[in-house]
Amino acid sequence: MTINVSGEAAIAGVANTEFSKNSGVSELELASVAVRDAIADAGLKPSDVDGMTTFTLDNTDEIEIARAVGIGDLTFYSRVPHGGGAATGLVHQAVMAVATGMAEVVVCYRALNGRSGHRYSSGVAGPLLTSDAIHWGWYTPYGLMTPASWVAMYTQRYMHLAEDVQDAMFEIAHVQRQYAAKNPAAFFYQRPFDRADYDASRPIVSPFKMLDCCMETDGGSAVVVTTAERAKDLKHPAVIVKGVAQAAAADMESMTSFYRPEIARIPSMDIAAKMAYEQSGLCADDIDAAVIYDAFTPIVLWQLESWGFCDLLEAPKFVLDGALRSDGRLPTNTHGGQLSEAYIHGVNGIVEATRLVRGQSVNQPAKEVNNVLVTSGVGVPTGGALLGRSD
Amino acid sequence: MKTLNYTDVSIGDKIPDLDIPITASLISCAALATRDFEPCHHDKTVAQSMGLPDVFMNILTSQALMARFVTDWSGPEAVMKALKVKLGAPNVPGMTMTVSGEIVEKNDNEKSIKVDVTGENNIWGMHMSGSVQIALP
Amino acid sequence: MTPEQTKAFEEKVYTFVGKPIYKGPRRGYDDVNSAMIRQWCEVMGEKNPAYVDQDWAEKSTRGHLIAPPAMMYAWTQEGYKVASEGRPTDGQVEMVKFFDSHGFSGSLGTNVDQEYFAEAKVGDAIFEESVIESISEQKTTARGVGYFFETYAKFTNQDDVLLGTQRFRVFKFIPPEQEEAAPTNSDTLEIPTRVAAPRGQDNKWWWDACDEGKILIQRCASCGALRHPPRPMCGVCQSTEWDTIESSLDGELFSFVEMHHPKFPGYQYPLLVGVISLAEGTRIIANVVGCDVKDVEIGMKLKGKVERVDEKTILPQFYPVNN
Repeated sequence: MTINVSGEAAIAGVANTEFSKNSGVSELELASVAVRDAIADAGLKPSDVDGMTTFTLDNTDEIEIARAVGIGDLTFYSRVPHGGGAATGLVHQAVMAVATGMAEVVVCYRALNGRSGHRYSSGVAGPLLTSDAIHWGWYTPYGLMTPASWVAMYTQRYMHLAEDVQDAMFEIAHVQRQYAAKNPAAFFYQRPFDRADYDASRPIVSPFKMLDCCMETDGGSAVVVTTAERAKDLKHPAVIVKGVAQAAAADMESMTSFYRPEIARIPSMDIAAKMAYEQSGLCADDIDAAVIYDAFTPIVLWQLESWGFCDLLEAPKFVLDGALRSDGRLPTNTHGGQLSEAYIHGVNGIVEATRLVRGQSVNQPAKEVNNVLVTSGVGVPTGGALLGRSD
Repeated sequence: MKTLNYTDVSIGDKIPDLDIPITASLISCAALATRDFEPCHHDKTVAQSMGLPDVFMNILTSQALMARFVTDWSGPEAVMKALKVKLGAPNVPGMTMTVSGEIVEKNDNEKSIKVDVTGENNIWGMHMSGSVQIALP
Repeated sequence: MTPEQTKAFEEKVYTFVGKPIYKGPRRGYDDVNSAMIRQWCEVMGEKNPAYVDQDWAEKSTRGHLIAPPAMMYAWTQEGYKVASEGRPTDGQVEMVKFFDSHGFSGSLGTNVDQEYFAEAKVGDAIFEESVIESISEQKTTARGVGYFFETYAKFTNQDDVLLGTQRFRVFKFIPPEQEEAAPTNSDTLEIPTRVAAPRGQDNKWWWDACDEGKILIQRCASCGALRHPPRPMCGVCQSTEWDTIESSLDGELFSFVEMHHPKFPGYQYPLLVGVISLAEGTRIIANVVGCDVKDVEIGMKLKGKVERVDEKTILPQFYPVNN
C-alpha cells in the first residue's frame, strides 16, 4: 500500500525569535523561545508536543529544548543532514510522522548564533575533522573554500548560457530588500538600496557582490506540524501540507557537483518539484506565491526553472518581467528572504510561507493566495513543500 | 632630482613594487621618530600580552612609508594633497612588506593624481591599502 | 551584556560624541625643526631633498625646506610619558577608559584619512584641535563585537593657516578570550601555506602522485570507465578493481571564479579557480594562472603543469594555450 501524505498534515503554529547580529543569549535559549512561541501560536500547550525535528547541523539537543520548554514524552525525533538543504526536510519528517501515527504534534526548529558565533562565510579552512574532509580536499588547496565560491562556479556557467543574469541577480536582491525595508522584523528594515549601491558593493567571489549574499544572523525559527484533523480546531486556519519531498540527484557532491554534464541547474530540485507536484495534484500555475531559498541571488533563478515557472535558462527574463514583486506573477520572499530578513537556514522561510497562506505576511500580496511554495537550500541535497488552504 | 610632469603620467600606470624588510629596529625606531611612545611598538613583552608575536608597526610609520613610496617615484616637487590608509594585518619583525601602486585618477584642473597604494606582507597578507593624492608640476 | 546593559552603556557612550579632546588648540612640544625631520627621514628611508637638502630646497619652486606632510600628526603627539606613566587624561582617553571598563578593551586603529592644504616649514608652530566626531552602532567584525569611533583633527600654524585635517577611526571591541597570550617566537614566524588536502585511504595515492608531478585519473579495471575525484568503487559496474592513467593535462575551461573576500593566508591573489574538462573526459578543479582575469573565458584551451606553489604544496596549475 502506498500512502500519499498530501493533505494528511498541517502547519498549525509558527514563530521567529528576534533576528540580530549578536543575540547575547545561548542557542538553547533561542531555540526554546522559538519553539515555545510556535506552540503558543498554534494554540497548543508544550505538553501536547510529542515529536521534534531539526538539522544535524543544529547544536541544540531536542531533549534539552524539551526540558527547557516543558515538553513531555517524545515518541518521534529526527534530524536532517546537509545544512540549509534540511529546511523543508524538517516538515517532510514531521509530515511522515503524523501521517503514520508515530506522533501527533511535531515541532520543527532551527536556532543559531550564526553571526556572533561560528560564521559559515569563514569557509571550510582550518582543521577538518569530519568524514567529508577528503571531499573538501579536492577544493581547498586551490582556494575554493567558501559557500559563495562554490555557488559562484555554477553561476559563471549559467551566465555563459543564459542572458541578463547579472540584471536578474540585482532584481532579486533589490525586490527582496524592498520587502525587508517594510518588515519590522527584518535585519534590513528601512534600509533599501539602489542599483548604484549594488554595483558598488564589495566583490566577494566574482561574479558575486556583497549584496548577492545573505547576511549571517543570530536567531531561531520554529513551526508546529500536526494532523490536518487536529489542526481544524486550533487558533489559526490550518495550513495544509499538500506536497513535500526531499531529493539528492545522481552524481552529487555537497556543494561541489561540478562533474555533471551541465552544472548551470539544480537536478535535485527538479526531482523534489516533480514529487511534490505529483503528491498534491498541483502544477506551477496553481502556485500563487513562493518562498525560495536564497543564500545567494542566482539560486533563486534555477529553482524557478526547477518548479516550472519558466523554461530552462529563461528565469532571468521571468524575474526581470517583475514576477517576484508584490503585484507580479509570483510574489517571492515577501519577508525579505535570507538576503534581507535573516539567515535561519530557510526555516524562517517556512514561517513566512505559512503566513502567506494565512494572509498574515507583513507584505501580503493583494491577490488571493491559496497555494505557496517553500524550498530548502540547494547545492546540497534539497527539497521543497507546497502549502495551501484546506479545500 | 627630477619630478614627473602631470602630462607624463596616465591612469593605469604602475609604480614599481618596493620591498621593505620589517625589523624590530625599524618598528621601534620609526615609532619613536613619529613620537608614538605606546609600549606595544617598542616593548616585545607588551606586544605579546596583546597576543602578537612581537612589536608591531604603528600607523604613523605605515603612513610615512606609503607617502615615501609615492614621492620617491614622483620626485620632490610633487605636493601631497591627501593620504588615506586602511589598516589590515599587523607588520611584525621577520616579515617583508611589498608596496605596490597604480595611478587611478587624474584631475586636470588641479593637475593632481590619485595613486592607489597597497602594502602586503608575505606572512599575513594585506597590511595597508589606501591612496595618496599628489599635485604635479 | 544583556540588551538592557547595552542600552545603558550606549546612552552614556554616545554622550562623548561632539566632545573636544583637548581644552582649546594644543601646541606641539616642539615647533617644526630639522632635527626631528632628519631623524624621521633616516628611519623611513626618505631621501626627498625637499625635506632635508637645504641647497636643493633654496633652488626649488618652494624656495625653502618643508616638513614631510605625513609628519603632521607627529608634531603634537605626547612624548615618553605615554610609556613611563601612561597617557595623560584628555577627552579621548576618558572615552577609551569608559569603553575599557565595559569590556571593550581591545583597540584597533582601522583608518586614517589626512588632507593637506598647506606645507609646514621649519620654525612653524603646529596646533591641533580635535573632537570625537562619531561613534558607530554596535558592530560585529572578525575581531569581535564593538564600536568604531572617529576623531576629527584640524592642524594649523602660528598664523592660523590650516595645514591639514585628519580623520582617525578606531575599533573598540571585546577581545576574544586569549589562550594564555601565546607568546610566539618571532624567530620561528611561519610562512603560511595553502590548506592541504587530508590524505586518506581512497585518495592518498592521487596526492602522492601529484607530489611527484603526475596527475592520475582512476580507471575501472573491469569496465574501463574513468572517474575523478577517486572513489573505491566503479559506479558503472560496481567493481572495486582499478588502475590509473596519467592525464595529458590538456584541458578546456568549463567554469571559473575569482576569489576576492575573505582572503586566506597562504594564497596568492588574484586567485582564479576553474572547473576544467580534461581531454581524457573527466573534470578537475584547479587554479587558472598566467593570465589576466579579463582574458579568461569559458571554453578557452588550457594546459596544466604540476608546480610547487609554496613550501609545502604541489598542485596542478593551468595556463592558457596561445592558439
